[in-house]
Amino acid sequence: MLEADRHPNLEMLTYSEVVKVEGYIGNFRVQVKRKPRFVIESECTGCGACTEVCPIYVPNYFDENLSARKCIDISFAQAVPAIYDIVRESCVECFACVDSCDLEAIDFSQQEEIVELEVGTIIVATGWDLYQGDDYGYGKYENVITQIQLERIIAPNGPTFGHLVRPSDRKRPKKILFINCVGSRDENKLKYCSVVCCNLSVKNSKLIKSEYPDSEIVVLYIDMRTAGKAYEEYYRRARDAGIVFVRGLVGQIEEDPLTKNLKVHFEAVGADIVLETEFNMVILSSASLPSRGTNEIAAVMNIEKTPDGFLRETHSRLEPIKTKVPGIYLAGSCQGQKSIDLTVSQAKGAASSAGIPMGQGEYVIELIRAQPIDERCAKCYKCIEACPYKAISINDEGTIVVDIISCRGCGICTAICPSKAIELAHYKDVQYSAYIDELLPIED
Amino acid sequence: MAGTIRAQYPLSLRTVLVPCTGRVGADVIMRGFGRGADGIIVVG
Repeated sequence: MLEADRHPNLEMLTYSEVVKVEGYIGNFRVQVKRKPRFVIESECTGCGACTEVCPIYVPNYFDENLSARKCIDISFAQAVPAIYDIVRESCVECFACVDSCDLEAIDFSQQEEIVELEVGTIIVATGWDLYQGDDYGYGKYENVITQIQLERIIAPNGPTFGHLVRPSDRKRPKKILFINCVGSRDENKLKYCSVVCCNLSVKNSKLIKSEYPDSEIVVLYIDMRTAGKAYEEYYRRARDAGIVFVRGLVGQIEEDPLTKNLKVHFEAVGADIVLETEFNMVILSSASLPSRGTNEIAAVMNIEKTPDGFLRETHSRLEPIKTKVPGIYLAGSCQGQKSIDLTVSQAKGAASSAGIPMGQGEYVIELIRAQPIDERCAKCYKCIEACPYKAISINDEGTIVVDIISCRGCGICTAICPSKAIELAHYKDVQYSAYIDELLPIED
Repeated sequence: MAGTIRAQYPLSLRTVLVPCTGRVGADVIMRGFGRGADGIIVVG
């Protein structure tokens, strides 16, 4: 990230949102909404004087709300760019930070700003979000946490500086249960497999076991899906290290009100008995969801989505990077949850795919395009509403104009036009009539 | 589709290629019926 930020040919707009995309490959006009940080980016040096004087603490979203941060703070130590921001909903406007800032970088009058960009190609890499349902007492029992919260707890720059403690009493949990497939592979919730959670359970259980060898770790799963290069060996090493992998799912989970331990009832497949075991902490491998805002991005860019809500590629096997909109490419989890190695592969593929038309400088389109016939047009403009690619517009004289680059030759306008005033080249009505007449000859 | 799953279809079936099922308007379907087709399947 730091390298990208310092690259002379790259411009990074963080804390921003794409609100409008117009045009076509080679000539996209993109409107980006820059949200106000209330800190002037060009002035802030990241010295931290404002954080010292700020009296308000708010939950730290970067640490999955397990720790606190000041109301004016940097989101995390390695954030790029290293610029502070203010959580305005919690700010009491004491303006202590304004007085403390020698560079006068804090500006409470900052407003939302729209930046217009002209770009040739677009890569969408909006990532994913975690499913946070109330399964297995999550949100109710303190010691039931998600894998991502565990990641923060065992991270060296996390709320406990990497020491494994459980939230209720800040003591080290000895007996730990991992539950896989929380929310995913469930007919009533999310039907798809979230791909990464099995390996995440293997990784985190192995890390805990190697740091604290006396830990007793059980992983409950439906199927262990550790497919991919060297992952099976990784899973095997976790089993050899003494982590117990059990096929089966939890039936019931209750908290002991005094010790805050969790009583878990589960049936190990094949054993035919329901086991009741007490654990100090339960970790949920929750499902992956398309990131918040994926619907908006899909609408703004006219990209399709698959039934699971992730963005749709042109072809799930042969074109996993391109979207149906020429010039817009996908990288990473926005297209479907995937492991880091696949994300890197896809991101490099997307970068190369986007580079090809920009290097060539020209783009070849098919000739199957809609052609309006002005003298027949009754100006009902039904075609404009029907066009899924927003390729039809009205000119000053009220006649319709087809943008042949945005048009993709689907022919919906031709089918919908009541006065047959728009034709699809190579698929005209007269051609169809001749075709059908030839196929179905009327015998005399 | 029929080809990829190695399915057979009856000899009386006639296929008409369309760029998109959206192109299939009422007039195309009526033309088919008008020429004596017993049924029309729109497949996408």
